[in-house]
Amino acid sequence: MATKEEVLQYIKELAIKDAIKKEEIIAAFEESAIISVISEKTKSAGISEILYYVGGAVVFIGISIFIWQNWSQLNSLTKILSTLGSSVAAYFMGLFFISKKKTENIALSFYLISALVMPLGLYITFYEVGFDMGGTGMQSLISAILLMVYLLSFAIFRKSLFIVFSVIFSTWFFFSFTSFLVGNNPLFGNDFFQYRILAVGLAYILLGYYFYKNSRSSLTGFLYGFGIMGFLGSALFLGGWQPNQKIFWEIIFPGLVFGTLFLSVFLKSRAFLTFGTIYLMLYIIKITSEYFSGSLGWPLSLVLIGFLLIASGYLFIYIKNKYIRL
Amino acid sequence: MNIKNNFPLIFGISIPLLMITFVFLSIYLPQIFVKPQYDFLYLLGDNNCYVQQKNMQIYAVENSELIYNQGCSSKEPKIFFYNIKNNESKEITFEEAKRSDLNEQIQSPDGFEIVYGSKEGGFFPFFFYSGSDYSSRYIKGHNVSKKLNIQPIGYNNFIFLGWVKK
Repeated sequence: MATKEEVLQYIKELAIKDAIKKEEIIAAFEESAIISVISEKTKSAGISEILYYVGGAVVFIGISIFIWQNWSQLNSLTKILSTLGSSVAAYFMGLFFISKKKTENIALSFYLISALVMPLGLYITFYEVGFDMGGTGMQSLISAILLMVYLLSFAIFRKSLFIVFSVIFSTWFFFSFTSFLVGNNPLFGNDFFQYRILAVGLAYILLGYYFYKNSRSSLTGFLYGFGIMGFLGSALFLGGWQPNQKIFWEIIFPGLVFGTLFLSVFLKSRAFLTFGTIYLMLYIIKITSEYFSGSLGWPLSLVLIGFLLIASGYLFIYIKNKYIRL
Repeated sequence: MNIKNNFPLIFGISIPLLMITFVFLSIYLPQIFVKPQYDFLYLLGDNNCYVQQKNMQIYAVENSELIYNQGCSSKEPKIFFYNIKNNESKEITFEEAKRSDLNEQIQSPDGFEIVYGSKEGGFFPFFFYSGSDYSSRYIKGHNVSKKLNIQPIGYNNFIFLGWVKK
């Protein structure tokens, strides 16, 4: 980065060449002051939003403890009213607050309460009606209802928070419905769970990229983070462990990791860089201990692992400073 | 709708939907074309008994025929005939079972075998396990599996005797 003297010297040179005017420099200076004020406001808004969410989560914990402590005393109607009723009430409170510009942010905490309590409310309602809640079929039904509620909410109010809930509940639906379809079928053995994580991870990354391009970039970090963590994690798990390792996944994994590091530069994503580096380190430890600890012995293997981890750490810092500095 | 701009969205939503479709088809489509043909006999209960400190079996298959070890005084397991076409079990007597010509091979002549179900659990990636579900049995072969209608069932109370020869 250029020093202050270098910048001033450069401005002088531009002024001599008549390539820059005094007014342009003053305008740029004033603009920086405005940006500074906006970033201060954003910072305080960020803290208050966090408090709204924490408050919402605390309310959810309170309702859960209330139900748990008084389960035997409460009758069916009270149980349903205190859970499903609370979540519906919180949802409509959110609707009320979102209609006014001043209280728009408070609405988000009520939506959070609603989204956290509604699954519990639906679960208790179906249970009290007499459904068997043990299987994945009922989980599929509950997650499908929640997904519909929040997709419709997004379609009407266009708030990013509803996308977050839709993504969470669609993921729940995906896992519970595929488990419902498969049951205990032996054709879908040990790897099925990892393949589902792989698919969900890839879907998250693509959705993150879509929102990045469509001015909802606040969702991108969350989707990239969980997406790449799941994608690389499942690919590493699919490689297995000696003697039951799967050579295809063990060979392809470094390609996936370096592809992730390359994409971190292209997408300017810290999540890709961080998880790419973490999984590269895990892969180095796994492969060294799996294949070289026997021939080289553990002490030399540890030395090798140590040097490779240092190289990975250096790669992380190098890419972050050169390409991703945000 | 601009497909080029919305491609990541379309592709991202399609991946889980395609996987659900693939899972559904891979379970139900082969069942239409591939059907197991052989009925089988099995026992429910403990088939072991000890005669003069020697472990014996109450029922066993020898030369394609079910035999009964008379020296055992333990409680006898129940004998069942499984009708594979109707997917139903029926308890039968030893005399009825003795009439069947049995194939003791694990795999039936048309390439099916009886296996445990599978199960998984935990919280990926921090704690995850997968293994056999001993409370269910499936007939499996040619990339098809079907849950058998056998209840109640446990880890070691199901004993396969043999496929009924046609």
